[in-house]
Amino acid sequence: MKVSLSWLQEYVSLEGITPDELASTLTLRSQEIENVYNLVEADTLIIGEVLDVSKHEKADKLSVCRVDTGKDKLQIVCGAPNVAKGQKVVVALPGATLAGGLRIEKTTLRGVESNGMICSLSELGIEYKYHHEDGIHVLADTAPVGEDALEYLSLNDTVVELDLTPNRSDLLSMHGVAYDVAAIYDRKLKLPMPEIITANQDNPFTIETDTEKCPSYYARILDNVTIAPSPRWLQARLIAAGIRPINNVVDITNYVMIETGQPLHAFDLETLTSEKVLVREAKQGETFVTLDEEKRTLEEGDILITDGQKPIALGGVMGGLDTEVSDSTVSLLLESATFDPRQIRRTSSRLDLRSESSIRFERGVDPEKTRYALDRACAFLATYAKASIRNGVRYFDNHKRKKRIIPITLDKVNKVLGSSYSVNEVQNVFDRLDFSYEEKEGRFLVEAPSRRVDIQTYQDLIEEIGRLKDYNELPDTLPSTVSVGALSPYQQFKRKIRSTLSALGLSEAITYALREKERINDLTRENESPVELSKPLSKAHHALVLTPLTGLFDVVAYNKARKQESVHLFEIGKRYRKNEEPERLGIAMHGPYHPRHWQKTPPTDFFTVKGVVEALQKALRLPELDYEKTTIDNYHPHQTAVVKAGDTTLGHIGKVHPEYAEQYDLEDVYLAELAIDKLYSVAEKDATYRTVAKYPHISRDLALVVDADLPAGELLKTVERTLGERLSESRVFDVFTGKTIGEGKKSLAIRLIFEAREETLQSSDVDADIERVVEALKDTHDARLR
Amino acid sequence: MDIQKRIDELETALKKELENVKTMNDLQNVKSKFLGKKAEISGFMKHMKDLPNEEKPAFGKAVNEGKQRLSGLIENKREELRKAAIEEKLRKETVDVTLDAPDYAPGGVHILNRIVEEIEDLFVGMGYKIKEGPEIETDEMNFEKLNLPKDHPARDMQDSLYITKELLLRTHTSPVQVRTMLEYGGKKPVKIICPGKVYRRDDDDATHSHQFLQIEGLVVDKQTTMSDLKGTLLTIARAMFGEKREIRLRPSYFPFTEPSVEVDVTCANCEGIGCGICKQTGYIEILGAGMVNDFVLRQSGYDPDVYQGFAFGVGIERVAMLKYGIEDIRHFYTNDLRFNTQFK
Ligand SMILES: [Zn+2]
Repeated sequence: MKVSLSWLQEYVSLEGITPDELASTLTLRSQEIENVYNLVEADTLIIGEVLDVSKHEKADKLSVCRVDTGKDKLQIVCGAPNVAKGQKVVVALPGATLAGGLRIEKTTLRGVESNGMICSLSELGIEYKYHHEDGIHVLADTAPVGEDALEYLSLNDTVVELDLTPNRSDLLSMHGVAYDVAAIYDRKLKLPMPEIITANQDNPFTIETDTEKCPSYYARILDNVTIAPSPRWLQARLIAAGIRPINNVVDITNYVMIETGQPLHAFDLETLTSEKVLVREAKQGETFVTLDEEKRTLEEGDILITDGQKPIALGGVMGGLDTEVSDSTVSLLLESATFDPRQIRRTSSRLDLRSESSIRFERGVDPEKTRYALDRACAFLATYAKASIRNGVRYFDNHKRKKRIIPITLDKVNKVLGSSYSVNEVQNVFDRLDFSYEEKEGRFLVEAPSRRVDIQTYQDLIEEIGRLKDYNELPDTLPSTVSVGALSPYQQFKRKIRSTLSALGLSEAITYALREKERINDLTRENESPVELSKPLSKAHHALVLTPLTGLFDVVAYNKARKQESVHLFEIGKRYRKNEEPERLGIAMHGPYHPRHWQKTPPTDFFTVKGVVEALQKALRLPELDYEKTTIDNYHPHQTAVVKAGDTTLGHIGKVHPEYAEQYDLEDVYLAELAIDKLYSVAEKDATYRTVAKYPHISRDLALVVDADLPAGELLKTVERTLGERLSESRVFDVFTGKTIGEGKKSLAIRLIFEAREETLQSSDVDADIERVVEALKDTHDARLR
Repeated sequence: MDIQKRIDELETALKKELENVKTMNDLQNVKSKFLGKKAEISGFMKHMKDLPNEEKPAFGKAVNEGKQRLSGLIENKREELRKAAIEEKLRKETVDVTLDAPDYAPGGVHILNRIVEEIEDLFVGMGYKIKEGPEIETDEMNFEKLNLPKDHPARDMQDSLYITKELLLRTHTSPVQVRTMLEYGGKKPVKIICPGKVYRRDDDDATHSHQFLQIEGLVVDKQTTMSDLKGTLLTIARAMFGEKREIRLRPSYFPFTEPSVEVDVTCANCEGIGCGICKQTGYIEILGAGMVNDFVLRQSGYDPDVYQGFAFGVGIERVAMLKYGIEDIRHFYTNDLRFNTQFK
């Protein structure tokens, strides 16, 4: 809402308040102020008369004018084609500043002296959309030469722009703003009362409705209308409010709408086929041409104003083209009505047709202003369009005028705000707001005025008290609720994942959950369709990912393309499904890990990412993990494994297939995905203490020859199964293939560590264990000692 | 024979030879020559029997002392050689201490999650619990239970991304508050914060992101006041932006709170005087808050005649941008490592 301060001053005095002070006070007590600006950012503008015009000898497009500015007769060079002798014009004298900071100086244009500038409205800073004028602005013949031009045009105004919240529909009117300013500054409010004189001829119309979506409709008939431009002050105020002046009839309906918040509509009476207005709901598929010349297809429920036969307006949203007021209009049907806010919102958003009128109707207008606005407009039309008003207003009004009486106690006010206001202080707030109330021993019965549709409950009243008293004067306290704060064990678990991976040198990424539909199942084939948006934001943000790897892989490619050598990432994302969103940990590794710049860096490979997963296993107290070789589409067929803890599958780990990676200018990308809920379910909830062994352990090495495709893990499982508790650790420390081993065979060297906690271990005990192991490995895997 | 004189001569000769000794081997040879079985000094004892008895003790003493002196010289030389050898070994191990170390740089938690963790820790310290919930929400939880019925004008404030007619990506984490209140069954006090991803129908540009992170807080109890809200917000503002910060509450509107306020913090850049960052106002808007609307309490199973509460919501990206002067919100989701790794 753009508020003209000269207009506002008609209702409430702003004496002693600068525009900036007003803006900051409104920001703290009412609504945020988006902007404060002068309607015209220009000064030293004088009305002049063009005495004569001659062609500039050296420039076709320039004219040399002699202009009377009252004091002087100045020579001014003008570039506008419409300049002509005898015109009254706006002259910017040397020293003037125009819109955009343009300074006017005495100058010489191609050899001819120029002592100022004849201005267009655009040069004054009035946007083209408000005037549609291309050349200089020509004033009326009666404009007084030598006077201040801005004052004459009523453009010497300041605008305060409110950033309205949707609840304060009352502030969509100058009256509403005036009420608030009067309340905040505790000043007197004076609103005009329309006085109209009607002709003898009666208003013959009947007004009916077939729908509850139009609770009230008032209409008057006006004759002998003279269509003409509006007075300058009225045009200026409309421009200040952000509306383009058209002609007196249209301008007056707009003016009264801005003033009262009640939208009005004028029909050309001669285009109506009967003396009847019937409001009804549209039929499905019915069409109607609105005054912007668009053919609208309507849906059941849209509100139509008809003349009993044909539709004449899309109620509350826009008038019809056929019944529009034109230059030849002489008689009017003037409508002032109210409509169901929800229906207006549905219709206008479906048709993408937001008008000044629909914005007001969808937030709710004051039903007490409907008749007032109609009469106010008629009074203006009588004055500025020489209209005669027929006798009688025709209407229906089904508004249930039930008073909204809201009980509230002083105790509750103070209990909610944490304040210690007195009865008097609260009474003072209601007085300033012009809310009527009864009070007895701190118990109030407050009547919410019809103009404030937002005041429905005691909480709304507390808000009024809070803002007018200023929230910033409340004390700063903390809640008295005593409670134990804590992260849940699962939240702590996730934090541990983050801190562990960070310490290992991986950077956390956050990627978009919404992606191209085709990308979701492109890298990882998830065997399920993603959840999609019904109306996608764009092609790039269409469906929800099923794994954080989708985003992470792209982040690897992005960084690689920007010459980042080492890209090691993780993300805690989700597998988005309609009924569940299990959290997933994604890991992506590419390029040297912990690079040694001038020394040799071990290459990043499958075991690098496996090492990261194993570090998590230890940090998160997971049981020992099993890695079973597997194949996954788009992964390396021989470097991919399922990660398990016992029977629970936790996720997978592997290398991206080189052919897939190549499409993104990548090679050697390693990924892992682990289900966080499953990690959590298998993790030991707390550490378990075991005594540290008192005696040194005994270790034995075995070199075994086995089939080349036997996984080492299988071999170690047999070892562990055979020895059980006696064995404290076993691991492969050498893998070797070659001619000496034989075709299709490999040598595995394993180290077994035996530990006894309570007694010294005898070498002979271990010897017996080794014999059992060798026997078991021979039986199970056909392994032989080298 | 003057034994003493001869020993002195031997000592001089040994000193001379030791000067040329370079290795342990050389030293061994010299030692054999002067102290070995065939060495001259070893032969002196044989002469002793030829001496008169009264001279024997003096002679013996001189020979023994002489041996000790020669032996001492050799052992000194041995120590000298050993030290030189160690020094030589260490010298060969010289490193250029200015060369780069291997890159063990830690990675890092994403700056947005780090700020979330900081805020979580602050609130945990004040006795809050942390609640999370689904990002795919029902229209009922995301809007209707929060006093935003269908066709409500305030739905424009949160243009949303729908999946079906009844399912959408949550536009705020408020549904987690509703879920928690329902879980608590309207009986016990609520003191929670709800961090999480939220979504709006916005085109991505320098200041808008269709996906962003939010933390909302909710306290519901029998005596929770707007002043408690104000004190809590001041605490957050100072924890996030520094001890010198002040806050300012302005009236605003959210359907789920009544009264509603928007909260500005004094600009840390200009200390409230006015600068480009705060658009000359001295204040920067950081969050929205208010007292929980009775409608929401009732919908969530709490009796508004008994309970009252406050709620607030803060956008994490905005906090990070203000704190570090980050100019483009898209940086958070691009994950350029040159960006991400700056926040350790
Ligand atoms: Zn500043």
